[in-house]
Amino acid sequence: MQLDELINLAISLLTTVSILVIISIGLAVIFGMMGVINLAHGEFLMLGAFFTLSGHRAGLNIWVAMVVAALGVGVVGLVVERLLIQFLYGRLAATMLATWGLSLILVQAVVLIYGPATQGIPTPLGSTRVGDYSVSQYNMVLIAVAVALLGLVYVVFTRTRYGTTARAATQLPTMAAAVGINAKVTNMFTFAFGAVLAGAAGALLAPVAGVVPGMGQAYVGRAFMTVVVGGPGVLTGTASSATLLGTVDSVVSNATTSFLGVAALLVVAIVLLRVLPTGISGRTGRQL
Amino acid sequence: MTGAQTMQRQSRGRRLADRLPREVAYFIAIALGALVLSQVIPDFRAYEWSLWAVYGILALSFTFVWGHAGIFSFGQAAFFGIGAYAYGVAGINLSPTTGETLSALLIGAAVAAAAAGLLGYFIFYGNVGDVYVAIITLAVTLVLLTFMSSTADPKYRVGDAPLGGYNGMAGIPPIMYGSGVALDTAEMLIFCVAAAAGIALSVRILLRRPFGRILAGVRENELRTQLLGYDVRRYKLLAFSLAGAIAGFAGGLYAAWGMFINPSVFSLQQAAMVAIWVLVGGKDSLLGAFAGVAIVQGLSSALGGSGGSWTPIVLGVVLIGVVLLLPKGVVPSIADAVSRVMRRKKPQQVPTTVLEAGQEQRSDIDLEGMLTARTGRVAAQSIRGENLTKRFGGVHALNGVDIDVPDGTVRALIGPNGAGKSTCFNLLVGRYAPTSGRVYLGDDDITKLRSDTRARRGLGIKMQVPSYYHDLSVDENMWLASYAAVPNVKGADEQAARALRWIGMQERAALPASALSHGEHQWLEIGMVVAGSPSVMLLDEPTAGMSRDETHHTVAMINAVSRYSTVVVVEHDMEFLRDLDAPVTMFHQGLVFASGSIEELRQDERVLDTYLGRGVSADVAG
Amino acid sequence: MTTLVKPAPRRMRRRAYSGLGATLLLLATACGGGDGAGDDGDGPIKVGSILDETGPLNIYGTAMADATDLAIKDINENGGVLGRQLELVSYDAQSDNAKYTQYANQAAQRDQVAVLMGGITSASREAIRPVAARSETLYFYNEQYEGGVCDKNTFNTGVVPSQQLAALIPYAVENFGKNLYVIAADYNYGQISASWVEKYAEEAGGSVVESEFIPLESSDFGSVINSLQAAKPDVVVSLLVGGNHIAFYRQFASAGLDQSMKIVSPTFGLGNEQVVLSDEAVGITGAFPYFQEIESEPNTQFLDMWHTEYGDDYPYVTDSAATVWNGWHLWAEAVNAAGSLDRDAVIEELESGVSFDGPSGTVTLDGPSHHVVQNIAIGEANGQKGFEVLSTEESVPPAFEQEVCDLVSEPDTNEQFLP
Repeated sequence: MQLDELINLAISLLTTVSILVIISIGLAVIFGMMGVINLAHGEFLMLGAFFTLSGHRAGLNIWVAMVVAALGVGVVGLVVERLLIQFLYGRLAATMLATWGLSLILVQAVVLIYGPATQGIPTPLGSTRVGDYSVSQYNMVLIAVAVALLGLVYVVFTRTRYGTTARAATQLPTMAAAVGINAKVTNMFTFAFGAVLAGAAGALLAPVAGVVPGMGQAYVGRAFMTVVVGGPGVLTGTASSATLLGTVDSVVSNATTSFLGVAALLVVAIVLLRVLPTGISGRTGRQL
Repeated sequence: MTGAQTMQRQSRGRRLADRLPREVAYFIAIALGALVLSQVIPDFRAYEWSLWAVYGILALSFTFVWGHAGIFSFGQAAFFGIGAYAYGVAGINLSPTTGETLSALLIGAAVAAAAAGLLGYFIFYGNVGDVYVAIITLAVTLVLLTFMSSTADPKYRVGDAPLGGYNGMAGIPPIMYGSGVALDTAEMLIFCVAAAAGIALSVRILLRRPFGRILAGVRENELRTQLLGYDVRRYKLLAFSLAGAIAGFAGGLYAAWGMFINPSVFSLQQAAMVAIWVLVGGKDSLLGAFAGVAIVQGLSSALGGSGGSWTPIVLGVVLIGVVLLLPKGVVPSIADAVSRVMRRKKPQQVPTTVLEAGQEQRSDIDLEGMLTARTGRVAAQSIRGENLTKRFGGVHALNGVDIDVPDGTVRALIGPNGAGKSTCFNLLVGRYAPTSGRVYLGDDDITKLRSDTRARRGLGIKMQVPSYYHDLSVDENMWLASYAAVPNVKGADEQAARALRWIGMQERAALPASALSHGEHQWLEIGMVVAGSPSVMLLDEPTAGMSRDETHHTVAMINAVSRYSTVVVVEHDMEFLRDLDAPVTMFHQGLVFASGSIEELRQDERVLDTYLGRGVSADVAG
Repeated sequence: MTTLVKPAPRRMRRRAYSGLGATLLLLATACGGGDGAGDDGDGPIKVGSILDETGPLNIYGTAMADATDLAIKDINENGGVLGRQLELVSYDAQSDNAKYTQYANQAAQRDQVAVLMGGITSASREAIRPVAARSETLYFYNEQYEGGVCDKNTFNTGVVPSQQLAALIPYAVENFGKNLYVIAADYNYGQISASWVEKYAEEAGGSVVESEFIPLESSDFGSVINSLQAAKPDVVVSLLVGGNHIAFYRQFASAGLDQSMKIVSPTFGLGNEQVVLSDEAVGITGAFPYFQEIESEPNTQFLDMWHTEYGDDYPYVTDSAATVWNGWHLWAEAVNAAGSLDRDAVIEELESGVSFDGPSGTVTLDGPSHHVVQNIAIGEANGQKGFEVLSTEESVPPAFEQEVCDLVSEPDTNEQFLP
């Protein structure tokens, strides 16, 4: 195997892993910290893409548009938490049903506003040659951003007051209440933060994917798989399972076909859950 | 009194048998209704309602597996699809020769049941957590979607039936009875409604049978059910497979209805739809399954027919509205409202206190019969732990404990909190596997046995934290404990009646267990242990929260039982220990610290220093 | 192997039971509404359409529904059919196949439509066909597809591979190079079309170096981009479909591959891909009966009507929209020529070779195969949300369907032929 081919494969693998991290970190925060299964995660992601589209069309610089879009989805998340989710804590099935209803509404609302046709933003940056191969520079951005997002989550949960209280509330809910941590406020922020991350994922994918109202469905399955395989640890779980699943998908896809890649990913996920029923980070408990 | 009670039990048993014809009558009424209806409504309506009946069966399978067995599975759509494809394959291959497709329907149900059995074995025997059950079943559904979608190549075929890939399988025969003539639309409605009614009413009967009652136990409190001696995994697997069969049958009917099937039955949308129907209708109501389908499908079909693009929004709003405003679902909410209007709830009259009732009747109860019900003879066994060690992470909860309680004796365990008493119990009953050491029941090494197997060998436990079936009646709590020892309905009814009288709660039999007071819960749990006809009873803090009189009464009960069973009891209460007058083993920091009579221990300087304290005579409970 | 489905006569038995169900009748009429208007009399003629106007498939469905409304309006403004107006009953199947079965039945039984049109995916067509056949309701499927359907009751006005790929692949081999790499959506359309590409490439002296199938929900094409760079084909044949697959063109361009290889595609444009991609799409070549840029009198009129109705900023009128338009007009011509709504009479008239001058040129029904003979144009995405039409071949027959399917001499055939 030539060196250039190897580098190219490595970049391709890292890109796949990074995309998994990006699409699942928001879900992991909401699931890991609050135990809420957010079936509207894909639609939060889709909103991020559409907000980016609008920002870009309004003349914003593409990178600025992405940041604004992510924050915009955060606001949506905040509203959703206040109006809906806060009444449903501890009712797993009810939350799933309500977020499913929400996703129906969001998709159709976007159809009514933007129309059903596929939209898109040109991929920024160009390509770089590596020997015989050329590689999209935007893929490098995705890899860097995936690392940066993991870093952001780490910093938020260890270096901010909100983060420490949020972790305390997750690990020892009664104790946290006893020392006066307001679970309501904490949950609200956690949900909004998860929404910001989901929005960021949509914003980042907007230039490489088709921006369609139904686009969330294409990602949500893999995001759930990553989070479940990862287990309750937001950082350790997401990073390790994205690496594992991404590597399996990428290696098998490159060696055979995309279909077998997807199939291999699902098989590995199921086998792994059989061995580690609570996910990779399940043994280490609810830590970051 | 005993005779009257027994008669009441027996008549209850007879009523159970009497109810069978009532379901049959319902069935006939519904089938006749469908017959009449099919003749008066237009064909397109009959066609639509047939589909609702089919979907209703699918929803019912989910109601059964989730609302009644407590398993949240997204797999029902998968088994529905498997049943549909199996019907298609069987129908296309067989019907040209046989001229009927009823066998194909049954094949569909059987294949789906087998698939559910396989997946269920994997899930339940692997002790996969609840949330992960949902996700794994969803993942399997999506794998099937991906797989079936890529079978477009004509080489993917079973006999004459090409699987057809994403486009689906065409040319599926409709329902035929044998002459090769298909049912017309009206007949199909009758068939679907009758099938739905037949299945729903069978499930209704099943839920009243012991299997259904045990499932309720599994759903309400899995641990308690396990410790009573039921193999929870087996019951879950059976329920899961049965639900798979029902969903598969519905799938076959669906394929026959549309004469067509494609992989979209395995989609996320379809999987979620099943849960939505049931949540809207009401998760434990069998009728709710059908109501949910009619409401959701009726709404979406009416909106889609008007060609509006607001359909998803209206549906979404309705779902959120149901979740927020009718959290129990439409049918139970309506039922509640109706019963509130129809009759005010009468406060339950409970004339005597449990204590009085118990004392009054204890004398004439056949305690021996109750405690020998499992084996037919007095079977007290010894229980022995050898070098028991348990570490949780870095914490040494138990550090090499040897304990030996000879058969037919009583032993008290004392010690400060965290000394390892409850951990020791948990190792003895098999809730945890010891890090090292062995457990013997009688002469048998039971270290490797599961907790339900140990329970079936006669090991009964009342745990420190309350563990009973909150939402079941006192009667049902007791019955589940009894049936574990006496696995026939009549015998279990009798055993439960005896145990209820023994603890003085026959007047509270119909109350939900959650309505009892704290002390009454303790007796209920002791009663449940005794109803299980144990050879060794482990009681963890049986008198916590009781008054002095109640404690005395409890000691008397334990002493009475100890004639037929070995008893090990953890207690802090000095009054209790003195009353009990049994050898005491004291735990401290995961080790056996001292043993002897309570008086001997009170002389022991070390015991006084570490636990009892100097100059304190009683009640040092912590 | 096909099963005979002969419902017993309903009316008689219904009378026998009607006394029993007098009370239920009230209930049923309250819920159901009465049976629809029959097909006789002077009132409007009911016609039915089922398309996915919501849900994931509405990328195609919305434009096709717009075309349906416009076609009905046009026919009505020009005097209707048999001198009567058309009344459209339209259903939104919400991208759910069970709804196709149900609404097809509702349209046939309740509304008693004279003709039923609709279905987007092949799966939805397969859901409608048995219902339409059983209720003896004429059915039109107006969308490009993988070809081969042969059914007396069904007319397919969409373009098929033996028209589209037969034009596009030789063009690609001749102009861009002999080595083809096929990337196809992993389902029936993709797999069947991929085998057609292989056949036409060999006939034209080229060869397919590799075929790769991509799951419909996949939007990460990293491994495909790698294999392309390793295989270095001259031409990439894209048989990709749907919103997710649009990511391929983007990732292809951003990896700089558009500098070294050409993409040809029989699907590019149906989902408005050239509008979304603009610059990144320049040079992607497709073949369709209809491009918005085709210069002809009927097309100018068609676009005028379209833009008056839906506004000048309508992104792009796709081939699917034109196909729907053709379907309705072909049916209207046939009914007028037959002078009756009777299904068999209309089928006979359609099979005699009805023809219509549509926006894409003359479209003629091929009687035996129930497909259409039509023009095929080659177009190249121009980077300005449209195509440049390079050449047009007139009156291209559905060669494969003509070869395997003859419903005039064998009217009982009912299957989908595969190459």
